[in-house]
Amino acid sequence: MIDFGSFKARDCGGSTRRSFLRTAATIPLAMSAGLPTPEAIADAKSRAKAKSVILLWLWGGPSHIDLVDPKPDASMDYRGPFGTINTQTTGMRFTELLPRMAARSDKFSVIRSMVNTNNGHPGAGTVGLTGFEESPGPVQPNFGAIVSKHRGQTGSLPPFFYVGKGIPRDLPTRIEGYGGGTLGKAFDPFLVSASDRGEVSIPTLKMMPNMSPGRISDRRQLLTQLDEERYRLDAAKVEEWGHKYQSAYGLLTSAEARAAFDLTQESTKTRSSYGRSTFGQGCLLARRLAEAGVPYVQVNWSEYVETFTPGGDWGWDTHIYNFELLQDRHGPIFDRAYSALLDDMTERGLMEDTLLITMCEFGRTPRISNRAAREHWNQCYFSIWAGAGVTPGRVIGQSDPKGERPVSRPITPLMAGTTIAELAGVGAQQRAEMKVLDGGSVIDELF
Amino acid sequence: MSCFELRTPASSLSPVGERARVRGLQELRTANIEHPTSNRTSTSTFSVGCSMFDVRIGATVLAVLVFAFANAQAEPVRLTTDGALKRDTRFVENGTKLAYCYDEGPDLVRMLQMKMDDRSITPVFEDAGNRHNLEPSWSLDGKWIAYTQCTGNLTARLVIHNRAENADAFITHAGRGGTRSPTFSPDSKTVVYAFAETGPQQLWSVDTAGKNKKQLTECSGITNWPTFTPDGKTIVFANSRENNYEIYSVSIDGSNERRLTENTIMDIRPRVSPDGKRIAFVSTRDGNYEVYVMNIDGSGVQRITRSEERDDYPAWHPNGKQLVTVSERDGEFDLYLFDVESTQLALGD
Repeated sequence: MIDFGSFKARDCGGSTRRSFLRTAATIPLAMSAGLPTPEAIADAKSRAKAKSVILLWLWGGPSHIDLVDPKPDASMDYRGPFGTINTQTTGMRFTELLPRMAARSDKFSVIRSMVNTNNGHPGAGTVGLTGFEESPGPVQPNFGAIVSKHRGQTGSLPPFFYVGKGIPRDLPTRIEGYGGGTLGKAFDPFLVSASDRGEVSIPTLKMMPNMSPGRISDRRQLLTQLDEERYRLDAAKVEEWGHKYQSAYGLLTSAEARAAFDLTQESTKTRSSYGRSTFGQGCLLARRLAEAGVPYVQVNWSEYVETFTPGGDWGWDTHIYNFELLQDRHGPIFDRAYSALLDDMTERGLMEDTLLITMCEFGRTPRISNRAAREHWNQCYFSIWAGAGVTPGRVIGQSDPKGERPVSRPITPLMAGTTIAELAGVGAQQRAEMKVLDGGSVIDELF
Repeated sequence: MSCFELRTPASSLSPVGERARVRGLQELRTANIEHPTSNRTSTSTFSVGCSMFDVRIGATVLAVLVFAFANAQAEPVRLTTDGALKRDTRFVENGTKLAYCYDEGPDLVRMLQMKMDDRSITPVFEDAGNRHNLEPSWSLDGKWIAYTQCTGNLTARLVIHNRAENADAFITHAGRGGTRSPTFSPDSKTVVYAFAETGPQQLWSVDTAGKNKKQLTECSGITNWPTFTPDGKTIVFANSRENNYEIYSVSIDGSNERRLTENTIMDIRPRVSPDGKRIAFVSTRDGNYEVYVMNIDGSGVQRITRSEERDDYPAWHPNGKQLVTVSERDGEFDLYLFDVESTQLALGD
């Protein structure tokens, strides 16, 4: 039996022997021994097209049925209230909440057979971002940390960014697989956020009084202030301080970095096209960072549902008001931001060497709850892939008529992470040396 | 010499509508009109007051002018400029105020009211703190405000506020979940709202004291957005039993249910006009969220908004001639006031 991370393919209803064998065939035999075959190395080199990776992380668990995998023929207690519309992809329909994406579906491919082993946000989030469960530890590195270690820092910009409110968290637990994991905290993401007005802030710097990118113009003044801050800390915190502020210092004193953060350099038309939402402006910031050469940018959706679940960071976790939230906020905001990002990157010629992925930790229950909403569902959900050699316009994987389980090959986060790594140039040899993504296989259907 | 008559009498327009009309005329007055046959460009002499028209321009240009005027007249009035995401519009207090909700921050929805004469904006409740208040509805007698209030993680309740006594009645249901879309009956004695207690989302009613809560419907699918006809005899609402949201009407005793819309995508947020003859609603039938008006029996559907961006949350002005919407333009969400009749004329629907 093949172990996709800790997911047992045989446990997932509907997995066919054919798909099982196909999965086996995609895994280099020598991988388990940590020795990639020459063919695997050649494959990895040919696939390595992504100078940058942008991951749109739809934290909270969006409903696959209400977005990209509608089930209009299912019974009323499953299908939901949304109509379906044609896309540019033969055989694929979306719900009416995503008309702009439907009109651009020939630019990306959709996987409808994602599965996760965990059904709680923090645990599933760690699996979704590392490929492995949090326990037993140690916690494995985020896909971005792997790419970051492989590429290293070039220039003043850190190689791994989180764009959004911060590290995605349930209340009160954060995703453990947010950062460096076994590779160390040096490979944690650097946090930035963009407001719905496009104002970029760096949370690290909020600890220091009177310091912001706009106010720092004198290098010596900045050094003095940083040193003063350092002397206030006890010795144990100096090392951590050094890592964080070294990056912050580099950002603030580099014209290149400051320019990457400055969304006002974009035309009003471009900024508006993404929508005046934190997610939309975050997507624009991600494009600028990728354009500036940052290898990995993860944009975290963390807005709006908090209105109904105060005090948390819940994103798409629509246990109540699922249909209202999707039609009033999440659907239109995502549809606009994703489509703008796709158009913008295409117009700038970035899709050739930028991988754009949309993923989440799980989907939502196909069966509508007794409160007219949907709960967590890890047994079938979706991801969206574009750029960097991914063949667009495909539907990969199929869910059953109720959207409950895949009826084709299940795709795991470990496979997604392995594919990301390969495309970013982290081949089997490098992965083996880092001791990461062990047992992972590439999603060949994407190419 | 010719005279062009306004289709909407000035006396029937609110101050805002008046401004809209004048703005439309001013735009027209300065517009350069391209002569379709002689390539001559002339500036129209048409203006408010004198209504003089150069007869030499000819009948073709007259037609162009009529079209241009109609389009200018159809331009909506932008009531806000902050661009923040807004929702849940309602004209209140005889149309002197406009209530709506907006995102004060990424995790706070605030209920506001705008005075229509000077456009000043204040919170509906000064002491709301950080509570999320949504979907306000005023009783016609002005004594009550009903709204949805989020009270904590995954729960929300219906609040019926007695304005004179500054007292609240809270309507809750067991377990997590939340009420939706409260609306008053025309006699101001009953609040009808949507809630899902045991599966399909139904319509419920409760009196203004928060007593006598009862389930009104037994529908499959999701039921939402109830709105009364002015005589109080009929409720119009949306339900998803036919694969997607459609709009229905039903007598208050549950008889005479009629399906008013029929297509494969959503028709939502119906609002009955003050005279009870029309319904404003939102549909994605033309590719994105747009506002439409139809007759009370579902006939005569006419499109009011026409944008590649979103138009949503319509509410009738008490004069029955104007609709306010939340419209997204260049990514910014603001309140816009449409003159329904001139919009229909301009669009020729």
